[in-house]
Amino acid sequence: MNEELQLKVQAYLDGELPAGEGREMADSIARNADARALLAELKNTRGALKAFEAEIKLPESRDFYWSKIEREIGRLEKPHSIEEPAWFAVGLRRIFAPAGALAALLIAAILIFRQTPGFAAGEPESETAFANADAFTYRDYSAGMTLVWLSYPAENGFADFLPSDTLKYE
Amino acid sequence: MSDNAHSSADDSTLVRAAQNGDMVAFEELVARHRDKIYARAYSMMRNEEEAIDLSQEAWVKAWQRLKQFQGESSFATWITRITINLCLDQLRRHKRHRSESIEAMDEESGGVERQMPVVIINPTEGLERGELRQRIDLALGQLSYAHRTVIVLHEFEEMEYKEIAKTMGCSIGTVMSRLFYARRKMAALLSDLKKPE
Repeated sequence: MNEELQLKVQAYLDGELPAGEGREMADSIARNADARALLAELKNTRGALKAFEAEIKLPESRDFYWSKIEREIGRLEKPHSIEEPAWFAVGLRRIFAPAGALAALLIAAILIFRQTPGFAAGEPESETAFANADAFTYRDYSAGMTLVWLSYPAENGFADFLPSDTLKYE
Repeated sequence: MSDNAHSSADDSTLVRAAQNGDMVAFEELVARHRDKIYARAYSMMRNEEEAIDLSQEAWVKAWQRLKQFQGESSFATWITRITINLCLDQLRRHKRHRSESIEAMDEESGGVERQMPVVIINPTEGLERGELRQRIDLALGQLSYAHRTVIVLHEFEEMEYKEIAKTMGCSIGTVMSRLFYARRKMAALLSDLKKPE
């Protein structure tokens, strides 16, 4: 029996042949002992498989099995903890960051100029936290005034970690 | 819906509740069908750990796609199809990691099965049901992945050739030939345990 006939016998058993071809196949099988034997074997095997599929049980408890599913669903549905900044915050930062830096530079230049030798004692003094050039302090003892200039928003996030004595109001 | 109502509700009611975000209803569906889903994953993968992981992944996917379930088939059929697809993906990944082609090996070995003499005896006669189940399971374990998958899809899931071909991404002719070789190999393996002592 060739392979084509073997596969047709199987297709006949599985009801996969068109009606007309199925009737022809039934006649062929009736006339062919090998085809009849093959059909019987395939039928037996199919019957055994369909009727006796192994009864496999999940080897985990309901709660344990469910807990992993629930955890994974929760993880996938959790919103992102780090949110993107709003578009307007990005726009403001783009405008004010360079302007703030420019203003700090101007004040620094003025103060340096005023602190050059020749200026009288008791003149105002200034201090720059070199670890963070974005923070600048101006003190005028005669007027009892201290100004702290911070470039905002901080370019490097340093403002969040300034030592307590740098941001001091007197 | 109360816990008691969940346990007494039918699948379609639970599915509707779960589609509206009722996680307890979904948990009830998992509890009802977890054995079948795990069994299907195990029958394809033949590995307990992988079968547990894949079946759980199938439930997570089912939750995510629950809104897409329109009730054209039963919920059990729908979640089983998700499981089968995940298993097939995993088997393809396994195949990529192996140097040899499973398909080539299967077709070569298929030639041997085609030449085997027909097994006349009925393998189900004279055996205890439990023993027979066990022997069938052992015989299935000796088939290649491709041959076992086609047996699982056709005999257990009752899928037609066309549907199997679509699911496995092959031609109907390949499905027919794999199914034929797989059945013949099963007949031979089962006949071994029927031989007189």
